[in-house]
Amino acid sequence: MKGLKVGMISFAHGHAYSYFHSLRQIPEVQIVGIADEVRSRVDSIVGEYGVPYFADYRELLAQDVDAVVICSENAHHAQMAIDAANAKKHVLCEKPLGTTLEEMERMIAACKDNGVQLMTAFPCRYLAAVVRAKEAVERGDIGDIVAIKGTNHGGNPGSWFIDKQLSGGGAAMDHTVHVMDLMNWLLQSKVTEVYAYAATLFQEDLGVDDAGMVHIKFENGVFAALDTSWSRPKSFPTWGDVTMEIVGTKGVISVDGFAQHNDLYSDEAGKGLWTYWGDDMDAYMVKDFVRALLQGEPVPVTGEDGLRSTQVALAAYESVKLGQPVAL
Amino acid sequence: MKIAVVGCGGMGHVHALEFAKMPNVELVGVCDIVPELAESLAQQTGTSAFTSFDAMMSSVEADIVSVAVPSYLHKELVIQAAAAGKHVICEKPIALNVEDAEEMVRVCEANGVQLFVGHVVRFFPEYAQIKHQIDAGQIGKVGVANAKRVGAHPGNVKSWYKEADKSGGVIVDLMVHDIDFMRWALGEVKSVYGMNKYDDDMDYALVTLVFESGAVANLEAFWGYPGSFHYTAEFAGTAGLVQSDSLKTQSLQIRNSEAEADGGNFVEIPQSPGYRNPYTVELEHFIGCIRDGIEPIVTARDACRALTIAAAAQESIRTGKAVLL
Repeated sequence: MKGLKVGMISFAHGHAYSYFHSLRQIPEVQIVGIADEVRSRVDSIVGEYGVPYFADYRELLAQDVDAVVICSENAHHAQMAIDAANAKKHVLCEKPLGTTLEEMERMIAACKDNGVQLMTAFPCRYLAAVVRAKEAVERGDIGDIVAIKGTNHGGNPGSWFIDKQLSGGGAAMDHTVHVMDLMNWLLQSKVTEVYAYAATLFQEDLGVDDAGMVHIKFENGVFAALDTSWSRPKSFPTWGDVTMEIVGTKGVISVDGFAQHNDLYSDEAGKGLWTYWGDDMDAYMVKDFVRALLQGEPVPVTGEDGLRSTQVALAAYESVKLGQPVAL
Repeated sequence: MKIAVVGCGGMGHVHALEFAKMPNVELVGVCDIVPELAESLAQQTGTSAFTSFDAMMSSVEADIVSVAVPSYLHKELVIQAAAAGKHVICEKPIALNVEDAEEMVRVCEANGVQLFVGHVVRFFPEYAQIKHQIDAGQIGKVGVANAKRVGAHPGNVKSWYKEADKSGGVIVDLMVHDIDFMRWALGEVKSVYGMNKYDDDMDYALVTLVFESGAVANLEAFWGYPGSFHYTAEFAGTAGLVQSDSLKTQSLQIRNSEAEADGGNFVEIPQSPGYRNPYTVELEHFIGCIRDGIEPIVTARDACRALTIAAAAQESIRTGKAVLL
């Protein structure tokens, strides 16, 4: 494979725009088509960059395409990924990988059976601070990890994210998986138990949870708490955060993934803004996906990784129902 | 108003120095079983030194006794002071278990004396402001809160902090500040879940409180943090969010270019100075409550509730289950 022909399926998740621009920067990549049943979502991109448009993603899958990027509503990930796998296309799928365990197992099996690769989009692994933190942990800079306090705050994303049929859940679904994946990656230990509280606290009659506190115990004795809340008000200077306080026997590593920002005060915005100037994690993730496929190597973040972190989100909802920890 | 201070360690110093400065307050004596500590503090504050509580009480007239001994001795001294008919100001935590705390409250009530517990965080200006902003509806109804309080292990300086049956550990001694503040800001707690790593070098805890209101708070406390002491608090509500971070509010940095003997090439001392420190505000408030017979900002009942929640966190750590209150 000299170059890589990539198709994009659905721009329902806003990350698709960023992935599109990341793909455009890679000389080996040819974007051969965009499929989205809602044309208005991709109109501007299709028009400006002259990318072929398909209303039905199955038409896109019938083209000469090597890999697809899926950014549909969570509930549609499974069908689209399985159809792509059956059409022998590699898949980069937005997180969370699926909305049920069974769905995710089928996605993984379909890719395996068809000899294509499945990568879960966890761009936070490509934050430079996270990469350096992982190296520091491996060097033993803080001894053995004891505990992690994490946050993945955001604002209420609205749209289909607050429709449980399409999203599979609220803030705990949306915001458990990123930091959970980082913790799995850092700890390389199985999750044994999950205790969670989730509720609708910021917007009445939302239909899904917008506040969450997820607690995780690992086989190696490490424990963690993760605030998954969509708790950032409109007046907040940025969209949210990804943070980890990694406590070790010989030190502490503090990661604040988006701390690299300036403070902008513009009368036009009507509020202060944190303008991020750090590296573009999406671009590095997409590049690594393309690199792995071109070199015929395993993708750096797998479908199993996607399943493992989503499983914790699903267990969190179980725990909320019971009001007690659940074993995994 | 005449005050005697028992315990001349860190907090005893704070109390005695504050009382010595106050108009209309007379510091009548300080006592400690370590004679040098008592002597030195007495000299600094211009009062008399004693090496036993009994000796002090039989020698001086006091209206109030300020108890600043290690936590495991609080109960015994508060009860002695109350039995002698003195109002009591006691450092936090009120006691190491709820039964002791409730007995202390009962004895004070039975003797007609007031009991104040030094949950000083309520008197820190940044926290008082947060409480005011929440009450004024500036962030709407609170949904999620986070708090953090971390620093060096005090047990490296005073060994009793490392004995759980003397200090209560990081939850009862340190996190209790944030437990009390959260309860003040968010109301009664209905469930508690805790996780903890405890050994000779560190005591690290994560505790989540779910409130009757539905709000949730996660508290982090750490003895053995490899850095300077600091604390943060964040409250997110339906109409806004308020954050405070002690590392970001240091209004004064004093830097000296002269090398330290240990090889450093500069010295940096960040500070957040104020004309009235939170202990001044707290202790003046307690004395005002006694003088004017008014209800304090933090009551002995509040201190018992905070300890009940801390005890529930310890139970959750033991059982691995969420504890319902």
